[in-house]
Amino acid sequence: MAATQERSSSATKGANGGGGISLETKMLVPVLALLAVLSLFPFFYIIWMSLNIVSLINGISFDFAGLANWTRMFTDEVVGAAWARAALYFVATVGLEMILGIAIALLVHELVWGKNLVLSLILLPMFMAPVIVGLLGRFLTDSSYGLYAYVLRELGIFESDILGTASSALPAVILMDVWEWTPLIVLIVLAGLASVNQYVIEAAKVDGAGYLERLRYIVAPSIAGVVIVALLVRSMDAIRYFDIITVTTNGGPGNTTKIIPIRLYETAFRFFDLGYAAAIGLGMLVFSILVANVFVRILESRGLAR
Amino acid sequence: DENLPSVPKGTDDFIPTQLAAAGRFENEENLYALPYDCPTMIWMYRKDLFDKHGEKMSQDLGFDQTPSPELTWEQYYQIANWFNENQDEVPYGTGHQARQYDSLMCDFSNILWSYGGDYFHEPKVGSLGTAEPGPCTLDEQEALEAAEFYKKLLSIAHPGSVSWDWNATDEAFRTGQIAMAPNWHEFAAVDQDPAESTIVGKIGYSPLPKGPVRNANMWGGTGVGINGASPINEQKAAWLFLVWATSPDTMLMGLKSDVGGGTPTRGSLYELPEVKKAMEPPTNLPNLLTYDAVSEAWRPENIGLRPKIQSWNECDTAIYTEVSKMLAGQKTPEQAMKTAKKYFDEAQARVENLASRPSGVA
Repeated sequence: MAATQERSSSATKGANGGGGISLETKMLVPVLALLAVLSLFPFFYIIWMSLNIVSLINGISFDFAGLANWTRMFTDEVVGAAWARAALYFVATVGLEMILGIAIALLVHELVWGKNLVLSLILLPMFMAPVIVGLLGRFLTDSSYGLYAYVLRELGIFESDILGTASSALPAVILMDVWEWTPLIVLIVLAGLASVNQYVIEAAKVDGAGYLERLRYIVAPSIAGVVIVALLVRSMDAIRYFDIITVTTNGGPGNTTKIIPIRLYETAFRFFDLGYAAAIGLGMLVFSILVANVFVRILESRGLAR
Repeated sequence: DENLPSVPKGTDDFIPTQLAAAGRFENEENLYALPYDCPTMIWMYRKDLFDKHGEKMSQDLGFDQTPSPELTWEQYYQIANWFNENQDEVPYGTGHQARQYDSLMCDFSNILWSYGGDYFHEPKVGSLGTAEPGPCTLDEQEALEAAEFYKKLLSIAHPGSVSWDWNATDEAFRTGQIAMAPNWHEFAAVDQDPAESTIVGKIGYSPLPKGPVRNANMWGGTGVGINGASPINEQKAAWLFLVWATSPDTMLMGLKSDVGGGTPTRGSLYELPEVKKAMEPPTNLPNLLTYDAVSEAWRPENIGLRPKIQSWNECDTAIYTEVSKMLAGQKTPEQAMKTAKKYFDEAQARVENLASRPSGVA
């Protein structure tokens, strides 16, 4: 939601130009009003829910509870542990995806022939529904017939059940997400690389700059903007990551993969504790906004926000 | 309920334990739902392997290993271990639905109850249910012993068990990965289907083993009820559906369904000649092969009924999460049971607190 607001506010600013309301802005008003209703009403409703004990028996009912849900959230060790795990998960997936994505993009960019074919193959995972990626991962790591489980077992590296063992379950679901979304980073970074000024590169070559020097002083500054955009997009996704874990481990074993969105789902749709779930959801929203703000500020400080 | 049809053969035709568990709440007077299906956990085993190795097994083990409710869980453990060490037709002796999921609660509860433990002291909490079950009793000695045994049993089970739900457990069974499992009886249909299974005709069925205190077989049935908050016409339509869905003809139709189908919740259907005949192989209604086992399991003293309390979803999550932590080695059985008790009591306190407050309807 933060991202949509950001985009729509910059759009209105752009349309405004100088003083007075332009025709474009007037034409945008109906759709902006609709957007506001669609996002603001649920937003205030969920804040109200978070201040109540919400019951669904005999129709929805609210029982004002003040800050009870909020104090519970800050003292709930299960939710706290889920947040800590989500942070670990967030750093690991986004970090790995960025490193691999940039590395693969640099390699693909250097290809002389077959670039399109290689790129198409690399992008394939991105076009699968996350649920399917999860099911595929579950299939490949199954201890009876899974290919990965078989290879790891035959090599003597890992003999237990991959998704059923506390030490391996979280790395496994992280790698599934990395497998699916690294291609997106590759795609975005490649777009950045294509826009690097070739004359500058040529000139640097003539001046005797090696590959690493060119990477550091010319390529890196040119693609920094798109990299941060890629980081922003993946971060927003990682915070609400849900699909793969639901179909693979469901938070187990022993809660080792229960990140905050899974706990939120349980609270809302298994326990039907909707007031408390609203508080947890708002907590996630606040975190998303903070993360997004950090990235947007970095972009602005580099003069890249527009 | 004036011009509407009544329940054919009356409600007495339903198997009593199921009628109470699926249909009643808090007291015997009111009936809220009619039993629709009745999956129940029983001991499924590879009869061919038990026959083949029978003599050597009973020599090695020192008891008759033929599965029956007279054997104990401890003996089940020994049989499983025997399979692990003495043959190579199946990789492991036993497999379990021990994923951090509802299935784990089901699998663990069989053992909890048979060891004399329970979630609450209130004796009617499983059959009729209650709004106030009292404090959770998972921290008592019987529950701790059950948890310790469950951990021991799972340590020799197929290592995949910790990521299997019920479907995956049956898949392992019917593809020859394990020699036996506590398994839902309605999986018999797919296990006896040549297109799905490699063990057609090689399966035996028994009630689950007993523990030091009792025999307990988890019942996972459901009932069809009517939403009292819906408009009256819809309630009438729902009644027509309910009478039809639980009628003898419909249940027989379900039983004969090509895709497996459910097993009836009505006693009279099991008396029909064609149904009786189908209980022995060869049969076109493979779910009925389990009848001897499930009819034992459905007796009041053998049926395993999870608590019917308002906070059950949260308690369910607490128990399978804590047992999963125990299996993953993060907690001792004692820590796991004590933490689960804490979460049970907290969840129940919240709903009871809510129920005692006046609330406005928005």
